[in-house]
Amino acid sequence: MPMLADGQLAPPIDGEPHDGPALLAFFKTDCPACHLALRYLDDMSRQLSGKATVVGVSQDGPDRTSELADALDLGLPVRFDTRLRASVAFGLEAVPALFLVDRAGRVAGSSQGFDKADLNRLSAALAGLSDCSAPTPARAGDGNPDFQPGCVSRHLEPESAEPDAAPVDLYARRGRRASRVQVPEGIEPEEFCYDQGFADPLPVIPPTVQRVERMLAHCGLGPEEVVAHVPPNYAPASVEKIAANAVMAGCLPEHMRILVPAVRAICDERLDIHGVQGTTHFAAPLAIVNGPVRREMQFACGSNVFSNAARSNSTIGRAVQLILRNLGGAFPGRIDMSTMGNPGRFSFVIGENEEASPWEPLSADFGVPKGRNAITFYCAEPPRPVSEHKARTAEVLLRAFCPVLANLWSHRVCKRSEALVVVGPEHAATLARSGFTKHDVVQYLFQNTGIPVREYDGDGGEGTHEASMYEECLIRGVRCYRKFRKPESIRVMVAGGPAGKFSVVIGSWATGPRGSQMVCQEFD
Amino acid sequence: MATTLINPLDERIPPQSVAPPRLESLEGRRVALLDISKGGGSIFLDRLSTLLKDQCGVAEVLRFRKPTFAKPAPEAVLADMRKAQPHAVIEALAD
Repeated sequence: MPMLADGQLAPPIDGEPHDGPALLAFFKTDCPACHLALRYLDDMSRQLSGKATVVGVSQDGPDRTSELADALDLGLPVRFDTRLRASVAFGLEAVPALFLVDRAGRVAGSSQGFDKADLNRLSAALAGLSDCSAPTPARAGDGNPDFQPGCVSRHLEPESAEPDAAPVDLYARRGRRASRVQVPEGIEPEEFCYDQGFADPLPVIPPTVQRVERMLAHCGLGPEEVVAHVPPNYAPASVEKIAANAVMAGCLPEHMRILVPAVRAICDERLDIHGVQGTTHFAAPLAIVNGPVRREMQFACGSNVFSNAARSNSTIGRAVQLILRNLGGAFPGRIDMSTMGNPGRFSFVIGENEEASPWEPLSADFGVPKGRNAITFYCAEPPRPVSEHKARTAEVLLRAFCPVLANLWSHRVCKRSEALVVVGPEHAATLARSGFTKHDVVQYLFQNTGIPVREYDGDGGEGTHEASMYEECLIRGVRCYRKFRKPESIRVMVAGGPAGKFSVVIGSWATGPRGSQMVCQEFD
Repeated sequence: MATTLINPLDERIPPQSVAPPRLESLEGRRVALLDISKGGGSIFLDRLSTLLKDQCGVAEVLRFRKPTFAKPAPEAVLADMRKAQPHAVIEALAD
């Protein structure tokens, strides 16, 4: 039977007819796309409370549905289609499946799978039928995909080989409390942590109940609240688990203020930490901190910005790494199979030296204005140095950056890598004296970074096979292939100490929507 | 006094799965090859496909492809593979 079309009468659910305009959302409890959709539908239901009706229709029984509602913190009213008669009558193929039913009980719109555009369209239509204003439940760029295919409707499922297997629940909002572990008498707690596999190879502060409670007291969230799910194992990062790892890393309780948004950002699907956790490449997630929090928490933004100079940088970066191991499962030699590794896997956090910058902060590139706190993640190669002590003008100075940029990823590979250019304050001052805006710097580097065509001499090395897809250009009279796909592939920020004409350039991992995209998270 | 710690690890118990019995023979079987989109992967799988047919008597080789090696296989790709009901699947991992 095909899915009901607009204008057809909506069949009853569990024998009950429909009462007035309503949005019906069929779901099953082990479908990740349903969990994703239910979060938005629940928000929609709360916003429209008393004005319009959003109803979940569960294909599973009350017990499993109640478990899911508890995990997702759902307040949405739910009806049951446990005998799946309505699912058959509506002609579902996949869930989530949404049906808008009008006052006459006829279908007035529908959608299958998770689709933000459909959610917004049906929200507006429901509000129209209910004579109220429409919320926009699903916004682009909120960390969730715009579209996710659904799962097959329960009534069309083949018999499962493993009916009792617990599915990974990517969208649970509450998790279980962490277990308590007794350290046996006569064993040093620090050594016990190491023996239990809690730690990286450096000593940790044992996460005692008292220490973790001090952390929890600082963040205003419940210990069982789930902030994100950490790839590639997608373990729930509850606030309590984040706090325990933060204690081990040496964090202060007030660091929870930044760790919670940091975990949320690093698990944002656009960053694709899933791929970075298991790559053989050099990549490690680099965090850049902007806003007043840099001074309040004394982040290193100046001298030794990439070194072990400040507690906030070192411990917050280490906590993030411990969370990626202990919850994400990226243990070196098991999931994390990086050929050479990256020293940033201990800790990789820098503050932007906004005070020494002639430009807007990096966070402004992502819509977070100067003066607001933000943490931005970039899946980064180790930094490559740029040294130029004689240049008096922007053009001469930036010539020193171009050959370093040209070598990112692999010398003859073009259009694949992105770049984060971290300009030292003295270099930034030279650029500012020449009147270069950040846009000018990016344009210059984009226009003047290329690989000479003569390098592609048929030896079959990396990047040579795709040369026909590269863009040819002239750089100082030399035929070159342009290194970067577009100017936006290059991001510019300022960090480092006041003395020394040095900068660094940092390459990326696989980029774009099929790889990793930078993610910026604003916080208070 | 004994020290009590908060467990910082993932405590979920993963669902146990049992590998299906090995095929006695590939003769007359349908084998799916999953290309994860790494450079050179398709060349390797082309050769493997030939060997499976010529040397192992595989009746049919089905090809599937992830859009990017950098992310998990989309559900649609997995659904297509399940729908094809191959007797065996070979996934070409990276590098």
